[in-house]
Amino acid sequence: MRRKQKPTEKKKKKIPFRRRVVNNLFALRCIWEAAPLHLIIYVGSGVVYGILNFLSGSYLLRRIVDGVEAGEPISSILRYVCILGVVTLVIETALQWYWRVISPVLNCRILAYIEKKLFRQAARVELACYEDPEFYNRYVKAMDEAYNRIRKVMYTLDDLISGLVTLSANSLLLFLIDPWLMLFGLFPLVLGVFRRLENIAKHDMETEKKPVNRRKTYVRRTFYLGEYAKEMRIGGMYGRMLRDLRESFSDYRRIIKKYGLRQAVYGYLQKIGLEVVTILGATLYAVWSAMVVGSANGGMSVGDCLVVLSSISSISYELNRLVQYFAEFGEHALFLEDVRFFLDYIPAIQDGPETAPKEGGELELRNVTFRYHGSERDAIRNVSFTLHPGERVALVGSNGSGKSTLVKLLLRLYDPTEGEIRLRGTDIRAYTLDSYRGDFSTVFQDFKLFSMTVKENVLLRPTCEGDDELVAQALKESGAYERVSRMEHGMDSILTREFDDHGENLSVGEQQKMLLARVFAERRPFVLLDEPSSALDPIAEYRMFGNMMRATAGRSVIFISHRLSSAVLADRVLLMENGELAECGTHAELMAKNGKYATMFRRQAENYLGSEVSEDA
Amino acid sequence: MRKVKKERQKLSSILRNNWLMLRKIAAYTPEYFALMIVEGVVWGCINSVSAWFIYTLLNAVQDGGDFLYAASIIAVMAAFYLVAYVFDKWYWNIKNPLMRQKLHLRMHEELFAKARSLDLSCFDDPAFYNDFVWAMNQSDSRAIEVIEDTGKLINRLIASASLFTLLLTVDPVIALVLFLSSCVTVVCNLVGNRISFRHDRERNPLRRKRDYINRVYHLADYAKELRTGRADELLTREYDENNERLVQTDVKYGRRYFLLYGLGWNGLGNVTLFALLLYMITQLANGRIAVGGFAATVQVIWDIRWTLNNLIERITKYAKHSLYIEKYREFMSYEPRVKGEKHEIPPFERLELRNVSFAYTFDHPEYRFREDQDDKPADRQPPQEALRNVSLTIHAGEKVAIVGYNGAGKTTLIKLIMRFYDPTEGEILYNGVNIREYAPEAYRRQIGTVFQDFKIFAATVAENVMNGEYRQENEATVREALRAADFTEKLEQLEQGLGTHLTREFNDKGTNLSGGESQKVAIARVFAGRYPIVIMDEPSSALDPMAEYHLNQSILRNTEEKTVIFISHRLSTTRIADTIYLFDGGRLVEQGSHEALLEKDGKYAEMFRLQSEKYRQGEA
Repeated sequence: MRRKQKPTEKKKKKIPFRRRVVNNLFALRCIWEAAPLHLIIYVGSGVVYGILNFLSGSYLLRRIVDGVEAGEPISSILRYVCILGVVTLVIETALQWYWRVISPVLNCRILAYIEKKLFRQAARVELACYEDPEFYNRYVKAMDEAYNRIRKVMYTLDDLISGLVTLSANSLLLFLIDPWLMLFGLFPLVLGVFRRLENIAKHDMETEKKPVNRRKTYVRRTFYLGEYAKEMRIGGMYGRMLRDLRESFSDYRRIIKKYGLRQAVYGYLQKIGLEVVTILGATLYAVWSAMVVGSANGGMSVGDCLVVLSSISSISYELNRLVQYFAEFGEHALFLEDVRFFLDYIPAIQDGPETAPKEGGELELRNVTFRYHGSERDAIRNVSFTLHPGERVALVGSNGSGKSTLVKLLLRLYDPTEGEIRLRGTDIRAYTLDSYRGDFSTVFQDFKLFSMTVKENVLLRPTCEGDDELVAQALKESGAYERVSRMEHGMDSILTREFDDHGENLSVGEQQKMLLARVFAERRPFVLLDEPSSALDPIAEYRMFGNMMRATAGRSVIFISHRLSSAVLADRVLLMENGELAECGTHAELMAKNGKYATMFRRQAENYLGSEVSEDA
Repeated sequence: MRKVKKERQKLSSILRNNWLMLRKIAAYTPEYFALMIVEGVVWGCINSVSAWFIYTLLNAVQDGGDFLYAASIIAVMAAFYLVAYVFDKWYWNIKNPLMRQKLHLRMHEELFAKARSLDLSCFDDPAFYNDFVWAMNQSDSRAIEVIEDTGKLINRLIASASLFTLLLTVDPVIALVLFLSSCVTVVCNLVGNRISFRHDRERNPLRRKRDYINRVYHLADYAKELRTGRADELLTREYDENNERLVQTDVKYGRRYFLLYGLGWNGLGNVTLFALLLYMITQLANGRIAVGGFAATVQVIWDIRWTLNNLIERITKYAKHSLYIEKYREFMSYEPRVKGEKHEIPPFERLELRNVSFAYTFDHPEYRFREDQDDKPADRQPPQEALRNVSLTIHAGEKVAIVGYNGAGKTTLIKLIMRFYDPTEGEILYNGVNIREYAPEAYRRQIGTVFQDFKIFAATVAENVMNGEYRQENEATVREALRAADFTEKLEQLEQGLGTHLTREFNDKGTNLSGGESQKVAIARVFAGRYPIVIMDEPSSALDPMAEYHLNQSILRNTEEKTVIFISHRLSTTRIADTIYLFDGGRLVEQGSHEALLEKDGKYAEMFRLQSEKYRQGEA
């Protein structure tokens, strides 16, 4: 399998600085494209809040205290406060309106924008991506995280901007009062070392916890998932799982003990550096300046003291957080790496330039070999055969012989590693995916119904006028009509209870019949059935095959079945073995040949036919 | 979470639930409980001490007193921080995480024991099951939230008390105004919660749908269907419509939030703030309060707003906690119906079903979570009887086949025999004794079963075969069982042999077996267990014809003296049985040997002919 980028499992990897910037810019661009207003208001409000906080914080205090001390007329101070109050009120109210009413809408838009982008890509990437656990992991993470991360980039930017405004305004004020104070203000930068050490310890701890976590969640699952319930109630698996749980907890405790102290010490040093050295240090200096030097000799006034007290903590907190913002951007970048990896991934299976002929035609496999990504052996080896229009072919063989893989190759869910598949003599890679796949009706072995109406599930397209009859007919032919007509809303009933508590739950057999209706409704030139009868009982199977043969007259059919009895109905039987085409011919020919197929058939038939004597056929 | 309960809770039940949870925590980890209180007090002090500090210090500065006195105030403050943060860091980085783990473990042990004792019918009921999954996954973290929130509550209470005291010292008027505005805040928050409660309720179904669409795109299960049809188009359309509805809901409630928080809470808060500021400036100018008092008050006004909001948030969180604790309590108090006393099981002689009827139903009298389902329309189909008046006897050493179409009641019968459910009517007798008298676990140890939907556990091959109880001396048994199940060939390919870890659930080097291989391991379980009774529920469904043939031969060889119950709809598998029971629509319609049934030319004969017909054509 071709793979553009080889993602590394290690989470510890560092992203280069450039990439970090680019990833964060990517997030901002997404927001900009989905809702430009949001970005503008966010950044703008950062600046406004920064200024407002400063004006109604340190600066206001100084203005009042110094004004009162200097005997300034009280009316002018009051006027300043009033104006500030009115401005604050107006701005805050406007912003509140924005946050409460407009912002949720824009958030919805951004979410939809991002999710749909992901959906589009999800439907485009080739199936092999789902089988590559690394790719799949990153993909799931991308789906889970994208929206929140992208929004968080904006939040961090907002915090950063308002922080910078507060920081510079307060620094300026301090600098004007006494340049020496800047020394205290800058001290928190030194503390960044401890923060970094603390983060390393935290990170190491999380990394070590991860496998333990996985184990614990697994154990938990075995206790609550219905599929394990029966086995957990018999035998001793229960004790075994409980032991696993206890072990995982003692692992946790060991890990906490290992890293806890380091984190505590570094955290303590930071706190003390900030609260005691910086803030109390600056306070002591200011108090000394006011009391010992005295404002008459160029020392500080009481108002100045007050400003120092409130400004120095603003500065040190903001400086301290500044480091954090950059760490946050780094973290965002790391998560966005997954999002971008996924979105930028170029699907290995690409559209061709041509539209596939709607009426189908001859389908030919030429020396097709295929190997799954990461596998050591070919799943399909050098298979050649031609499916003629209107022909019914049974694909048989033991488990793992490559039957289902062949179906997937025919649908171009994978491209062959070697060889080619041709439709009407043209390599299928030359067709657009939609038009080519549109020639096939398929029922997979591991099919899924969607949580939509019966009609939509059968048609798999938006419904329109006149579909009712078509669907009803198809359901009748597949044998699901009777069940559907028992539903409260008939063909408009929602299937599954995924999000609708009144949805209809169907048994596996019923689901399979529902899916077969697709084949009858669509009338496409090719029909692929991967064990269509596995969940059906013999009678239902019998009827189904009868109907299928009638309804697919004139169409090319390939069906896979374990029950060789159904192979008898086919025009041709293909026996796969270890990825190779072992035998090929009509049932009669293969039986006459007396090869593997004949052996298999007799084995299965033995049990039935052994009793021939006592029966009158 | 599945859904939020519709009714609002009574205050008394909120208090009771949270109190019970706290008591539980105190019983499990008393240390945690005690330290939580200490931590709350320490942080209450840290949060309010700086206002006091500013107050004292600035007053000292303004009075122009002794510098040494001012310096000593700073020194005391420094000493306080030095000590308080030692506790804080030790607590949060070491002690608290350890105690949390301890609590997690204790709760898990209890939950798991409970989960295992649950009746299987609990898994059939989506409402119960959802709550159950929640209880398993979330109740421990919920417990931690309750205790942490209580710590923070203490902290905020102490902080606000201390801050109000300071205000009273400075100027009682300010304290009074702030107190009144805090009351308004409380009301705003209460109303706000009510609104967001309704908002969530309206939004939840829409969110559920969005999550569903999301899941379709990221689960591999749907990948093939997405690529071969136009489901993509349908889903996108649904998504857009759904999103539009979400937007409308958000706007509707956004307006209410704005009125409440934007105008009420925020606007009023700001007006109060500036009014107080104006008042204080006049007081300051008149010399009625000192600079220290002024500065401290400004600080306190900010602090107190934050502290009080936080306090209210905490309190409202208790209501949410209570909802979940209620679920937890209900889950923990669930009494299993399937139980029994006798642990001694005599050697197997015969199993007898007498007029057994059974209907799947969620309406067990014990089922307590019904209340929140009352809003469901009564469209739920009346429980249909899965089995009706079935009587049969199975003797030791007999080979029995249960056949019938889908939904005939075959698997249900097995579940009753295994006593995962008790019959609605009639009784099942083991050697003439009603199986209800035996303890279910002991009784189930008599029966080895390969379920249709068997599961392989994330453990070694040997442990999987021995159901988790593998010891070195069992090696021969395990090998023999695997051989009988035709797994030897695969076993030789596995590098670590019996010690190979299966599945990659939490071991990246684990081996994933194919469906057929897994089934062989499941079958080996039965061989290894030396059970007197063996049940095979469609044992060959994942196997290809060759493997099926081998397996059938093998099962026959290896279960010679045992009682075997086969279930299948492939009649080829069941011919070999001594007695065949044919079920149809929950009733036992025919019984007898293969030959006898064919002779009878009834349903069985018809079914057999249908299945063999095409083989016969092919052979001809």
